Amino acid sequence: MGGRYRCKENSTGEASIRQSTFLALVIFFSFAFLPFSVDAQHTLRMIGPEDVGGAWNEVIRRFHATHPDIRVDYISGPWSTDERQNMYIRSFLAGDAIELVYMDVIWTAKFASQGWLMPLDEWFSPEVREALFPRDIEAGFYQGHFYRVPVRTDAGMLYYRKDLMPEPPRTWEEFEAVCNRYGNPPERYCIVFQGMQYEGLVCNYLEYLWGAGGTPIDNDQNVLLDKEENISALTFMKKVIDRGWAPKSVITFQEQQALEFFEQGKALMMRNWPYAWTILRRSPLEGKVGIVPFIHQAGSESAGTLGGWGFGIARTANYPEAAWKFIEFAISPEAQKILHFRRGAVPTRKSLFQDEEILKASPHYKDLYEVLLKSRPRPIHPEYPRMSSILQKHVSAVLVGIESPQEAALQMDQSIESMLNGKRHSWPRRLFLDHDLKKTLKNTLTFTGFSVPLEFLLGLLFALLVNLHFRGRSLMRLSVLVPWALPTAVMAMAWQWMFNNPFGVINDLLVRVGVLREPMDWLSTPQGAMFASVFADVWKTTPFVAIILLAGLQAVPKELRESLSIDGGGKIAMFFHLLLPLLLPFIRVALIFRIIHAAGIFDLMWVLTKGGPADTTRTLSLYIYDLAFRYDEVGYALFLTCLFLLGLILVSLLIVRTTTLRYERI
Amino acid sequence: MKVKKFFLYPVIACIFLYCLFPFFWTIQTALKPPEEVFRLPVSYLPETISLENLKAVFAKRPFGRYILNSVIAAGGATALTLWVASLLAFRLRAMDLRRAMRVQRWFLVGAILPPALMVIPVFMVMKQLALVDNYLALILAYTALNLPFAVWMLHAAFRQLPRELNEAAVMDGFSSFAILYRIVLPLSRPSLAVTAVLVFIFCWNEFILALSLMPSQAKYTVPVGIALLSGASVYEIPWGEINAAVALTTVPIILLIAALQRWIIEGLTTGAVKG
Repeated sequence: MGGRYRCKENSTGEASIRQSTFLALVIFFSFAFLPFSVDAQHTLRMIGPEDVGGAWNEVIRRFHATHPDIRVDYISGPWSTDERQNMYIRSFLAGDAIELVYMDVIWTAKFASQGWLMPLDEWFSPEVREALFPRDIEAGFYQGHFYRVPVRTDAGMLYYRKDLMPEPPRTWEEFEAVCNRYGNPPERYCIVFQGMQYEGLVCNYLEYLWGAGGTPIDNDQNVLLDKEENISALTFMKKVIDRGWAPKSVITFQEQQALEFFEQGKALMMRNWPYAWTILRRSPLEGKVGIVPFIHQAGSESAGTLGGWGFGIARTANYPEAAWKFIEFAISPEAQKILHFRRGAVPTRKSLFQDEEILKASPHYKDLYEVLLKSRPRPIHPEYPRMSSILQKHVSAVLVGIESPQEAALQMDQSIESMLNGKRHSWPRRLFLDHDLKKTLKNTLTFTGFSVPLEFLLGLLFALLVNLHFRGRSLMRLSVLVPWALPTAVMAMAWQWMFNNPFGVINDLLVRVGVLREPMDWLSTPQGAMFASVFADVWKTTPFVAIILLAGLQAVPKELRESLSIDGGGKIAMFFHLLLPLLLPFIRVALIFRIIHAAGIFDLMWVLTKGGPADTTRTLSLYIYDLAFRYDEVGYALFLTCLFLLGLILVSLLIVRTTTLRYERI
Repeated sequence: MKVKKFFLYPVIACIFLYCLFPFFWTIQTALKPPEEVFRLPVSYLPETISLENLKAVFAKRPFGRYILNSVIAAGGATALTLWVASLLAFRLRAMDLRRAMRVQRWFLVGAILPPALMVIPVFMVMKQLALVDNYLALILAYTALNLPFAVWMLHAAFRQLPRELNEAAVMDGFSSFAILYRIVLPLSRPSLAVTAVLVFIFCWNEFILALSLMPSQAKYTVPVGIALLSGASVYEIPWGEINAAVALTTVPIILLIAALQRWIIEGLTTGAVKG
């Protein structure tokens, strides 16, 4: 009130304008910084992928109709499951937990062990339990408490061409026979699956491991990966690629690529999830495809990896009863049918597999029921995400041919063992056990060792040229500034596109020039990915080096140069005896700066290679970041950060010492 | 001299191509119609120019929101940085040069650290302050990161002003703040502008802090939004749209540095000369 009063009193308009602008600014900023508004309704939030088909929108609409006092907000997250998980984790860490935790089956143990979820035991009635698939329920338990209600289920299975083979294979031996008899690569391969280094690869691999009678970890937390079963599973997977049963490119496939390949009739069989059926039904392959449980070794049992999504409730949620009401609705036949028809979700409610409407649209649900009863959850362990990333790495390394099955089995076993044990040791001791640390340190050194010298050579060349007088010099200067000024993370995306196979320009250029015979998969081979990262980094940071060296060149007095050239000193002699010593302080600055930043590289790798393949471009910063933000080991991450920092300081001091000439030391 | 030029120009042309090619490639991909993006053989110039990708970027995702977030974070940080830096630089100007340089060198230690090493401590602090997902978190973090550089630039600029100005002003009864705001700052406008542009570009480009401190999608900055761009399914990456988004973020920066390139090089090199 007072403010307005004074405004009126003010005779000069200028002051009141100033005041009102100020007020407007204050209002603007207080809105901008207000964390969230308070609502009278009970608001619940959930994160899911983009709501294609509007299934969730419809479910929420119907829920609102019967529960006007509760509001559900669907936050449309990115497609990447990992990223959505990170969104949830960050919301928990930030103390503003998203109430409805819509989670992948594998998040449960981790979230529950962190105390982020509320046990649902009091609401979880025997009737609910009876109505849903038992394996999905089992996966919702952690240490005797129930945390996650399955909403949609998923299981890996084998699709086969009914029209091309009389009987689908059930065992590995039968599979081999079918492949040899009906396969005809490269026109028609035997099988496609998900061979890229990501969670999907572990799902594929576990089906071989379970099919061989093995398991990654037993109930007493013993790691069993150095056993014979694992070696035979890995050997068989490798055989599938080596014998040409699967195309070589399968190591870059996720679900969609496998499905496209199969859809084009280029493979007899495909390992995939139930969603593929919906798409195949609308393809030329309609009616020609059957499903069976995945193959297994004779004498063992088949098992498909259990997937799917379900709801938990954040422990700090304000209205857990409201949240539970929504969950109850989400597993009702009504909601599950909406999700099924609009989104292709497989219901977790058993009775829906006899529902006429569903059976009419999807007759294969009879077969699917068998597959789902045989599904198996991945290890229910809070450290599963790390376990999985270790498995991914080594299975991928076997498929690519970087490791033999025996080596990989041993590495997996040791890595997971050391990860699980590592937590029991003090940080300094853990340092020496830490497998990932050694590897990422090596990658960081390789990256720095290649990129920094290259940047210096090129940077010096640029600086010398830009320092000359010629026409178009300012244009040249501008072009040198461009890479420096563009955001690394954004340009990393551009580089990813340029290194694409087969649409990338780099492949195209190299094939045209004749360096490559055919396009190469840069980002999925270890050398290629490292090369691509170094290349992109050199492009980005050479200008920085050039600018600093240019400053040095411009500081060289002209007279000095002229007098030397009159004295008859040769160009090269002049460079080494005059320019280089004068440039030394600048070289020193640039070198320290570049080494520190190359060693701490994060955004380039995070976007361009994600550290892959088989962790060959994962650097220390990526590892430390993962420790803190994905593995929740902030303490250890900080410890490593401090050591890293100390290392960088030592290196910098060393550079200062070795590049300081005697006359400079005063 | 002729021979020299004969060699010089091809080399310069190569460097020119090398520096600008990725940028050119992004633009040309962005301008292709979506079908042409995924066509073999690769075409080096779009056969038909289409704005479809550019439209799709705004239509399919909150790209306008990302830009707004970036502008708020980078703009806020630039303003705060300049204000604090001008105070610090003004104080440094009052010291004798040797001492001022010694103080500045300590500032620089902070400037040289890669953000990847600071993200965990910064995140923990912001979490304690309940600022995660708040623009203030990014503004404060960016200010801290860019302050040393800004102080460096402004101090160099302030030093160039004759000291007699001060004495005259004091005689006229100006307070210290009045000297700063009425005399020193207006006289160093060009340096302020260059510093502002550079700090703004640094903030605009920053990735890891934006990724960690602003977890909700509504608060993504442009680089984070682009890095997390993906298709209608995880597997179909919409490269046309991604390139359009990249082009949209990078073109303004290039225009900015094109307009200011001489001063930018000067600014950066004076910074380095003193290192």
